[in-house]
Amino acid sequence: MAYISFRERMIIPTYDNPEHGTSGRVVIDHEKCNGCGNCVIICPGACLYVAGVGKDKKAYMIDAPFPDCMSCNDCSAMCKRGAIKVSVTYGYDYFYKILHRGELAPPRNF
Amino acid sequence: MTDVMEVEENAKASPAAVDMYEWREGMPWNPVERVILERRSVRKYKDKQVPERLVRRILEAGRFAPTAGNSQSWKFVVVRDRDMIDAMQKYVQLRCKVFKFFLNWQKSPLGKLAWFYTQLSARVMPNLLHPIPFGAISLIAEGKLKLFHDAPTVILVLVDRRGAAKPLVDVGICGQNMVLAAHSLGLGTCWVGFVEVFKFGTRWKKKLGVGWPYELIEGIALGYPVGNPDGMIERELQEIEWWEDGRKRTVF
Ligand SMILES: Cc1cc2nc3c(=O)[nH]c(=O)nc-3n(C[C@H](O)[C@H](O)[C@H](O)COP(=O)(O)O)c2cc1C
Ligand code: SF4
Ligand code: SF4
Repeated sequence: MAYISFRERMIIPTYDNPEHGTSGRVVIDHEKCNGCGNCVIICPGACLYVAGVGKDKKAYMIDAPFPDCMSCNDCSAMCKRGAIKVSVTYGYDYFYKILHRGELAPPRNF
Repeated sequence: MTDVMEVEENAKASPAAVDMYEWREGMPWNPVERVILERRSVRKYKDKQVPERLVRRILEAGRFAPTAGNSQSWKFVVVRDRDMIDAMQKYVQLRCKVFKFFLNWQKSPLGKLAWFYTQLSARVMPNLLHPIPFGAISLIAEGKLKLFHDAPTVILVLVDRRGAAKPLVDVGICGQNMVLAAHSLGLGTCWVGFVEVFKFGTRWKKKLGVGWPYELIEGIALGYPVGNPDGMIERELQEIEWWEDGRKRTVF
């Protein structure tokens, strides 16, 4: 029972090629975001920044084909306005293919 | 969220009202679950040092972790010296600059040769060079990510390689005990696997007492968080195979 094929196992993806996977992505609700920058300070992937002045000061994700976002959602925990959260979790193909995971969900208290 | 608030209020009114050691369907999170679910890795700390007695108390949580054969296969090194922590961060940054030079072919002057090194190294160390730590090497090299996030206290956890069965598992459990205790006491923590880089530093290894039978495995940054980094988040569900009544189901 193989979960990934031998060929997949042999291919170690190049870490920057969008064809070999996706990086994490966040969505930022600019209605709620006040540009406080708290998420920027703690993002381990250095993939957020704030831009704009006054009322237009908002957080954005850097415009890189492959930001170092590990979809940790630490930004969403930090943001007390509920303005930011992960929309796409990171995933790589071939050797690092993600197995046996489902959708994003908060803790469920069954 | 409202359930969580209720627990908090009850806890203040009368500790006995907190649900512990029992379960009712759909009941609110108990304090232990709350700490587990709300713990987030903290990457921005206040300068304020953690009292020594508090660190000692957190180490107690580690001491009582379960271990295979009760072999307690670890050793702790606590670093609370600002200059020493800065020097450690600087050392790792310099090392990461070297790694980046050889491995990050997009940014390396070595170009295609660096790509070759990466492919080779990733086959030898597929876990250490998993895409996320691989990206983090460049971030640390560029100063965008600090080794210990400037935390005022660091607990280094060394494994005793002579431990029963699988000593690395013991170390992981021990560390998480301390991490959860720390968060329950109002501190922030971050596991730091990048202490791996000290493998290359003979002088650091000597200074930190890393030598047979000990091996440096993880660091735990400890301090008072800036802001409120803890909180519940969304994360992927896990596909679970569930055997019961002679057949298999898949649950999430
Ligand atoms: C063994 C281990 C090593 C880690 N090493 C690092 C590290 O070197 N640097 C860092 O910023 N975070 C490190 N982390 C933190 C993880 O990035 C973090 O736990 C993960 O993104 C999940 O986020 P959460 O802890 O907020 O739930 C490490 C975590 C673990 C368990
Ligand atoms: S923490 Fe929230 S409000 Fe502050 S900048 Fe980030 S997304 Fe905007
Ligand atoms: S999910 Fe994590 S890595 Fe991605 S933007 Fe948020 S804090 Fe940064």
